[in-house]
Amino acid sequence: MSVLARPAPPGSVAPLQRPGGAGRRRSVVVVAAGVAVTLATAFASLLLGRLGLTPGEVLDVLGGGGTRIQRWAVLTDRLPRVAVGALAGAAFAVAGALLQSVTRNPLGSPDVIGLGSGAAAGAAAAGLVWPGIVPVPVGALLGAAVAVAAVWLGTGRGFAAPLRMVVAGIAVGAMALALVELALARASREDALDIATWIHGSLAARGREDVAVVGLALLVLLPLALALSRPLAAVEMGDDVATGLGVPPGRTRGLGVVLAVALTGSAVSVAGPVAFVALTAPQIARRLTGATGPGVGAAAAVGAAVLVLADQVAQRAVPGTPYPVGVVTGALGGVYLALLLVREWRRSAA
Amino acid sequence: MSTPVPGTVAAGGPVAGDAAPLVAEGVTLAYDGADVVHDLTLAVPRASFTVVIGPNGCGKSTLLRALARTLRPRSGRVLLEGRPIDGLRPKEVARRLALLPQSPVTPEAITVADLVARGRYPHQRLLRPWSASDAVAVAEAMAATEVADLAARPVADLSGGQRQRVWLAMALAQGTDLLLLDEPTTYLDIAHGVEVMDLLARLHDEGRTLVAVLHDLNQAARYATHLVAMRDGRVVAQGAPEDVVTETLVHEVFGLACRVVPDPETGTPLVVPRRRARG
Repeated sequence: MSVLARPAPPGSVAPLQRPGGAGRRRSVVVVAAGVAVTLATAFASLLLGRLGLTPGEVLDVLGGGGTRIQRWAVLTDRLPRVAVGALAGAAFAVAGALLQSVTRNPLGSPDVIGLGSGAAAGAAAAGLVWPGIVPVPVGALLGAAVAVAAVWLGTGRGFAAPLRMVVAGIAVGAMALALVELALARASREDALDIATWIHGSLAARGREDVAVVGLALLVLLPLALALSRPLAAVEMGDDVATGLGVPPGRTRGLGVVLAVALTGSAVSVAGPVAFVALTAPQIARRLTGATGPGVGAAAAVGAAVLVLADQVAQRAVPGTPYPVGVVTGALGGVYLALLLVREWRRSAA
Repeated sequence: MSTPVPGTVAAGGPVAGDAAPLVAEGVTLAYDGADVVHDLTLAVPRASFTVVIGPNGCGKSTLLRALARTLRPRSGRVLLEGRPIDGLRPKEVARRLALLPQSPVTPEAITVADLVARGRYPHQRLLRPWSASDAVAVAEAMAATEVADLAARPVADLSGGQRQRVWLAMALAQGTDLLLLDEPTTYLDIAHGVEVMDLLARLHDEGRTLVAVLHDLNQAARYATHLVAMRDGRVVAQGAPEDVVTETLVHEVFGLACRVVPDPETGTPLVVPRRRARG
């Protein structure tokens, strides 16, 4: 390009379509598809099981009818389970989207850097070791906060070094799980059995109060996360660019971390540290939408779908032997984590 | 984004007449406790193309960072249109002053149009994220920097010169009268460097106030209307390039023995290093 043309006078330039058009439209489609998959899986989960209900019977129960045993199976046993799955999946995924944006790296996920394990240790401490001092969800929140602080200090460079973050996260996660083991050893046999399932991430035996905990958390935190999306997208371009655009980078990152901690804490307190939903769901959402920025809405929808689907697989893959959902997400997400690590290793070696 | 007239400020701001739109007042700037700039005062003349030069480590980029409020002075203050910049809301500052930093991070898979559109952030609110005036500003910024043809291309696929013009378009889309640039030609070859400097000169001709840090003394002398020479964190000289770029001053600031001759193309001072006697 040699000669620069004079700029067109104002008003003579045809206004562009809203930028990000394609990515934005695809985001809407992805959100709709995620919600549809979640609802369809949820409805299927209400049908399936030992009682063998027909769709008509389930609708009847949801409308206020049905026999006592049908009402128990649908409203007390199955519905809270799938609702907790969808809500916790969304919470994990949004926490992942936020932290991945803050660290500018998919490896900066709550489950990779020990945030989930920290929340589990906090929950175990609040529930078993010193019961009655703080509620379990608050314990999970504190545990997640301590873990994220430990990782931040442990890297020596904050969140700017992805590989160090993973290493520090492994250490923090191991220490947190040791604390959980300690709590288990001291607990009664009955409590210990519950915890042993929960610690792998499980949706078994969830109740309405669990739905309320994670539902309320999402109701407050999801709009905040959505509002933080655009400032976070600005910070992804570097602190100087963000400042130039009027976005304070430090405050924006801090808010992102606080929201991620709160979302992880609330999800872990009801579903346990389900592995790798926070890592994979935002990345799946990003591939599907092709959009830039943290992509909070699409991540939430994909996270909900991933966790309810994984729970159905965990419950029904081996007939008669239900597994905790975390076993399924851990196995699938672990492969993806390995791929990411190989890529990161090559990048930093190059 | 309307074309601004020299001596006026963007709509909505207090018109400060010909007073300097951007002033550093006795600023001391430090990284990790070590002072880089000491008690420096500098007024950027309105509608000028101010270029800051000096040897490596003289504090010129640090000064620019303070003017762009990406670095908080240890003492002293920066005034934007007469008001302390720290007291203004970040978005309000961003509607008056745009910054092109030295190494911005290009988001993965972003297209040219989407990146330029991000320059509209300071004009947008949560519940009114995109308006017709945003679309017009983005289209004009892309036309001015000649990247409109690239609108749908991923930024990562572009050449260095094209990418720099895209980032410049993003800063332009902010619609500010003040534009700060940190070594905008450093990573470009000579042809693309000249292209960017010509573009900046045109943006200045349209009435904007530009402040740039440059490495190349001859480029600075050719394009600046106000040249600021720094050494060891202090301003050594400032004024019109013809007055500042002298053999004595180049020796004083850069420690370089040279001749200064008129540029055969523009008549501006041209620095020609003296031949060193070979042993």
